[in-house]
Parts: sequence; structure tokens; C-alpha cells
Amino acid sequence: MAVLLHKDRLLSLATGGIVTLAAIPLLFVAYTSLQLNASEWAGLWSSRMPDLLWNTFLLVMLVAAGCLVLGVSAAWLIARRQFPGRTAALWLMVLPLTIPTYVFAYVYTSLLESHGWLGRLWQGLFGEGVPVPDLYNAVGVALILSLSGFSYVFLMSYAAMRRSNPHLEEAARIQGATSREVFWRITLPLLRPAIAAGLAVVTLHVLSDFGAVSMLRYQTFTLSIYLQMTGRFDYEAAAGLSLVLVMLALTFLVFERFFRSRQRFYFGSRVKRVTPRHASRGELILIWSWLGLIALLAFVLPLLWMLSWSWTAWTREAIGVEFWGYLGNSLLVAFAAATIAVFAALPIGYYYNRVRSWLSALYLHLSSIGFVLPGPVVALGALTFILAALPALYGGLLALVLVLVVRFLPLAVQSQESALQQLTPSIEQAGRLLGAGPLENLRRVVLPMIRGGMISAWVLVFIDVMKELPATLILRPIGFDTLPVRIWIEASEEMLELAAPAALLLLVGSLPAMWIVMRGEKAR
Amino acid sequence: MKIRLINGLLALLMFTVASGASVADDDALVIYSGRSDKFVKPVVEAFTRETGIQVVLHSAKSTALLNKLRVEGARTQADLYISNDAGNLQLGSDLGLFEPLDGKLVEDIPANLRAPDNTWVGLSARARVLVVNTRQSRTAFVKSVFDLADPRLKGRLGITNSSNESFIAGTTVYMLKAGKETTRQWLQGMKDNAEGQVFNKHSKIVAAVAEGRKDIGLVNHYYIYRHLAKHPEAPVKILLPDQGDGGMGVAWNVAGVAVSKFSHRKEQAKRLVRFLVSREGQEIFAKVNREYPTRGDVAADPDIPPVSSYKVADVPMAELARQRNATIDLLEEVGMP
Repeated sequence: MAVLLHKDRLLSLATGGIVTLAAIPLLFVAYTSLQLNASEWAGLWSSRMPDLLWNTFLLVMLVAAGCLVLGVSAAWLIARRQFPGRTAALWLMVLPLTIPTYVFAYVYTSLLESHGWLGRLWQGLFGEGVPVPDLYNAVGVALILSLSGFSYVFLMSYAAMRRSNPHLEEAARIQGATSREVFWRITLPLLRPAIAAGLAVVTLHVLSDFGAVSMLRYQTFTLSIYLQMTGRFDYEAAAGLSLVLVMLALTFLVFERFFRSRQRFYFGSRVKRVTPRHASRGELILIWSWLGLIALLAFVLPLLWMLSWSWTAWTREAIGVEFWGYLGNSLLVAFAAATIAVFAALPIGYYYNRVRSWLSALYLHLSSIGFVLPGPVVALGALTFILAALPALYGGLLALVLVLVVRFLPLAVQSQESALQQLTPSIEQAGRLLGAGPLENLRRVVLPMIRGGMISAWVLVFIDVMKELPATLILRPIGFDTLPVRIWIEASEEMLELAAPAALLLLVGSLPAMWIVMRGEKAR
Repeated sequence: MKIRLINGLLALLMFTVASGASVADDDALVIYSGRSDKFVKPVVEAFTRETGIQVVLHSAKSTALLNKLRVEGARTQADLYISNDAGNLQLGSDLGLFEPLDGKLVEDIPANLRAPDNTWVGLSARARVLVVNTRQSRTAFVKSVFDLADPRLKGRLGITNSSNESFIAGTTVYMLKAGKETTRQWLQGMKDNAEGQVFNKHSKIVAAVAEGRKDIGLVNHYYIYRHLAKHPEAPVKILLPDQGDGGMGVAWNVAGVAVSKFSHRKEQAKRLVRFLVSREGQEIFAKVNREYPTRGDVAADPDIPPVSSYKVADVPMAELARQRNATIDLLEEVGMP
């Protein structure tokens, strides 16, 4: 018992240390916004807040609805029906994760121009008189963010559907429920925790998205904060807005957790897996036209766009060896940040799982800060801190990697936590009783049990770091360009033929990580 | 196996840390560049050929880089800062980030196109002009930028979003020349005419005017010639606004360079400045983008209207920085998209 207590204290210390590091950007924000006086707060509140709140809220709702429709429908079709090309469909539903939101925004604005593919299609269908719709509004931005984010909802609800217990559905059917009733009253409610978790990830991405909203000029908190910071050099106002954003997001997270904690479903250990039914011919047409449409919009069209412009670049001999350098830089940063994040997240989730106290919950929530604060704010906070406290690190790669770890730590914590939940103290005690020392226990009992969670955490962080733009833009070492940075620079100069190959390489570079996820999915 | 994996990861981390130090070449000059790579690279490469001094371009948005300079202070690795907007340059100067240059070094550049204390120097100038579709006559009445607020242009006007640096700089000039109230009404009129649809790129405005989707647009002059170079038959032409007696003249803005006060390689940095203001440097720097060289004795691209042929608004470039927040306040009051 004494040993256990001692271990917990160590764990608590380690967790506290990591969380403190992760909370530095928040401290920066809190400190800077303290410089605002009451009248400045009031000015901020009355002039910008109502619009920003409404814009952000509207966007979150629209994207959540979009991701719900796309993600859950696709997950249900693939999990519950056996049809030709099912593995391909599975891949097509997660591949959009390799395309950053700003690339989506960029691809679709250029496709919708009057001489773009979709623009010409539109005018062919409706005549030249009907203006081509554009994306510079809430619906347009929501469409882009839904296409790039629905895969999270898909992944989580697909996994849950594969796991869910068919007995309950069978019981309902025996009681005379129609299949529609079964779906709405049994299947969907059972999926709620998974869907909620997926939507939480999507919502956090929306709140912190910078690329798409800045390309489409949609005023959310993040964009407004960025403009305050860079346009006016008004750090205080930017910090004030950030603080409000953090409050919003933390409220959302607490609610989500509360909602989820009351929604846990336990099944016996001998669960029969759902066997997907063979699709009828009619269903097959329906399945492939729906999944095909999703895949076309969320992956195939952007891919074709990248290929076509990359081909142009290739024939103009515009692609030099430097592109391999950008790819190498991206992979290096993503690999390092993902690896550190996974190990840094471990104590936080472990501590929360082991000791349920206000402190462990506080740690857990504080570790989410990085994801909630806009990238530019995280970067500026970290920059200020590093310059003041650790000047030796400044300008090096380590500083960038550490900031990216802070930014995506919550993603790692979230996906490891579910794996850690299976780890009951009795399992560990069993290991100790059988004579394993603490280290051997960790290596032979704990790590193997949570390995799956660690791997998926690693992959999620890896993919997000590959796509990360705003913090990298500010903190990268001199002359150190990653693929997103290149895409951003070339795209803001209308150099499509140079932005496209970078986006394509980004996609290709993320494929191995996607393969790791998919291998896990298929094994089940 | 797991041990080996972990060892591998650790080795990679060490490599990451170690390589962090070797990213920047110690001898190379570092430029924080807010101007497009392709417009800066040619002149920088010519400089390296001539002097053997290596240069590293660290590109991002001008304003973001100025923020970085400000936060970094004395710890910055930048030796020079290049921006497309005189407002940013003067702001950096007001923040005490730049080294005053020797008057002799920059004497060939007219005084109104550099900082009063020579903390920055303009390298190329752009004119804020109108682009018109030549196949219509609905815009025949337009003589001044203020005519863009005329309700006759409803739905026919192309403007960029109001966070665009050139848009802000142009608006500042108009505000200084015509007063706040006139400018407010002008913005309001343009906002109504744009019908909520603004462009995020100047090049898209020119394309829209060429295709007849818009009749007229407010752009920087070189976007018109860039479009014409690609599509020589495009029905667009330049219209120089606010000319004649009592006209305030065309708004100008400059791209320029400054030397960081905290540079450890000031001598090399000044050599680069000397090259940039030399005839050779000016030829390359301004002409790649069809801008006006700031040096009077270097001719501009023959396609663009000669400097001597029109009137330029006499607003000192430094004012673009001092009045920027006032302009942004005005834009926000109007709710300019």
C-alpha cells in the first residue's frame, strides 16, 4: 500500500509537470489579457463578441450536423453490409484525413471559379446566367470543414458499430420492432458515446481551425484573434478573445465528458460480433452512389486536382529536389512530435484512470488547452516563454516540436484514455502478485494492454502535425520549410502548380500512418 | 523488439535535437521576407553570385514576420526585413527594430520613398488603380476612386476583402486626402455595391473584370499587366483615377527593406541593401513584378504608365503606419467584409 501511494505521488508529480508545460500558452493568454482594463473589455465585448459568438456557434453546429450525416451513414453502411469494394470504401472514408482544411478550401474555391471544373459544370447545367455558388459564407466553410472532418466521426462510430452487441438488436426485433425502429431506438443510442467522442474531436478542430477560415474569410474567434494580433499588433485584445474562446471550449469539453460519463455501456465478455449482411442488388447501387459521392467530394476530386496541377508542374520542370527536403522536414517534425506526445500523454491518462480526484480531472482538462487555443496564440505564447526562460532552445527544431506536442497533446490523451480504462488495478495487482517488479509489470502487462490506444494516438497526432500550419509558420527554424508552409506560401501567391505537388506529397507522406490505422480496423 | 523500437525512437529524437542547431548556416544572411519568394529570389541570387554571400529566405506574411521581429527583439536571427507594405516598415521603425542606414547608402532613392531617419528604404512602388472592362460603357462616368461608391455600380464592382494590406494602405491615403467622413461614406457605398461578395485575391478581380462578371475593380497596377501577359486579348484596361485639377492623385505604396538593429552581420546586410538600391538590383527587384523602380534613373517596364504621365497622391509613406489603426477602426465601423 505504501509502495502504491508513493507511486501515485510520483505519477501525480510527473503529470503536474507535463500539464504545467502544456498550460504555458494559457498562462500567457491570461497574463496578457490582464493588461486589458474594464472599458477595453467592454469595448471588445460589445463590438466583436456577439458576431463572433454567433459565427463560431453557427459553424460548429453546421459542421457537427454535416459530419454526423456523412460519418454515421458511411459507418453504418460499411459496418453492416457486405459488398464488393468494401475495403476500398473503408479507405476512401478515412483518406480525407490526409488533406488539410486549407487545401480543401483552396481546391474548392479554384474548382468553383467560372473556368474551374465545377464552375463549368454548373454553367453547363444551369446556364451562364446563374452565378456559380461560392464558399465565402457559413455554409461554404461548413461544407469544407465537414468534408475534412467527417472521417473522425466515421472512424469512431465504425469501430463502435463493429463492437456493438447484436443481441440487443435481435431482442428488439423479436419484440416486433421494424428495422427502422431498431436503428433509431437501439443502434443509434448505443452509438451515442462514440459519436459524441468523434464530434468532440471535430468541434475542437473547428474551434481552432485557422487555414480554411482565413482562406474563406469567415470571421470566427480564431481568425479574429489572428487579425487582432497581426493586423493591429493588439496582443491584449487577441488574448482577451482567446480567453473567451478557451472558456467556451472548456465548457463544451466538460459538458461532453459529463454527457459521456453517464452513457457508458458494458457488455459481457463473450460478445458475438456483428456479421455484416450481404447487400442486395438495390442496396448495392444505393451504397455505392452514396459512398461514391462522399468519396468523390472528400477525396477523389481534391486528389485529381492535385494530380493535374502536379502534372503541369512536372512538365514545366518546376518540381525540384527541394520538395523532398520539405517532405523530409514534415516527416521529421511529425514523427518526433507524435512520439513525444504519446509518451507525455501517458501519465495524464494513467493518473486520471487511477486516481479520480479534482486534481486528476483538472490535469486532464488543462492538458486540452493546446487544442483549444488558436495555433498562432499557442505559438506566440510559447515564443514569449522560450525567449524568456529557455533562450538556448530558441530558433531550434526542438522548440517547434515541443510546441506541436503541446498543441496536440489532448488528442493523444483522449485516444489513450479509452484504452487505459480497460486497465483495472486488479490486472496490475495480478502481475505484481505473480512476481513481476514495477518495471516488468509496466513492460509486460500495462504496455501491451494499452498498445492499441498508444498506436492510434500516435497516428492521430502524426497526421495532425503533418497538416499543422499556423504554429509552424511562426516557430520554424530559419529556412526550415515544411510542406504546409510551402502550400501556404505558394497558394497565397496563386502558384497552383507549386502548391499542388506539396499537397500531394503531404498526402503520400501520411499514407503509412493511415495504413497503421487501417490495419487495426481490418483485424477486428 | 519493443526495446529496440524505443531505442530507435530515442535515437531519432537525439537526431532531431542535434539537427535543430544545424538548420541555419551561420554565415548566411537571413531575410524575413513578406514578399513572394519568386520576386525576391532572382535579386538575391544575383547578389550571391556577385558577392559570394549566402542568403536564407524566411518567408511568411509581412505582418506575421513583423510580429515575430517584435517578440524576438534582440534575440532575432533576422538580418533584414522585406515587406510589401510601407506601413509595416514604418511600424517596425517606430518600434525601434531597425538600424538607421547611412544617408549616402540610400541617397539615390527619393526621400519620400524611404523613412525620414533612413531606417527603411523603398525598393519598388505600386499604384492603386482601376481596372475596367473595355466592352462596356456603364463605367464611363468613373473618374475618381470615390465614384466606386456610386449606386450605378451595384453588383458590378470588384474589391478585395478589407484585411488586404494594399486595400488598407489605399484607404489610408484616401482618408488622409479626403477626410474620415467622405471615406466612411465611400466604404459604405462600396460595401453596398459589392453585395457581400469580395475577392480574396487581386488577380481574381482582374479575371472577373476580363470575363465580364464585373465591370470595374480596384487593384494594384501590376495585376492588370500580369493578366495581360497571360491573355493578351483580354478586354481590360487600366484607368488612373483622381487625375486633373483638384484630383488627389493615385495612391502609391512601396515595398522596401530594413536592416535589423540586432543583426550581427550588419556589414553584409548593408552590402545587400547597397545592391538592392543599385541600378542592377533595381532592374531585377522591381521588374520581375512590373513595379516602378524607386530609383529615378532606372526605367520602369515599358507596358506600365510612366511615372511622369500621372499625378501621385502626396502622402508620406510613414503616414501609412501611423494611420493604420485609424483605418482599421473605420473599416470595422462600416463592417467592411
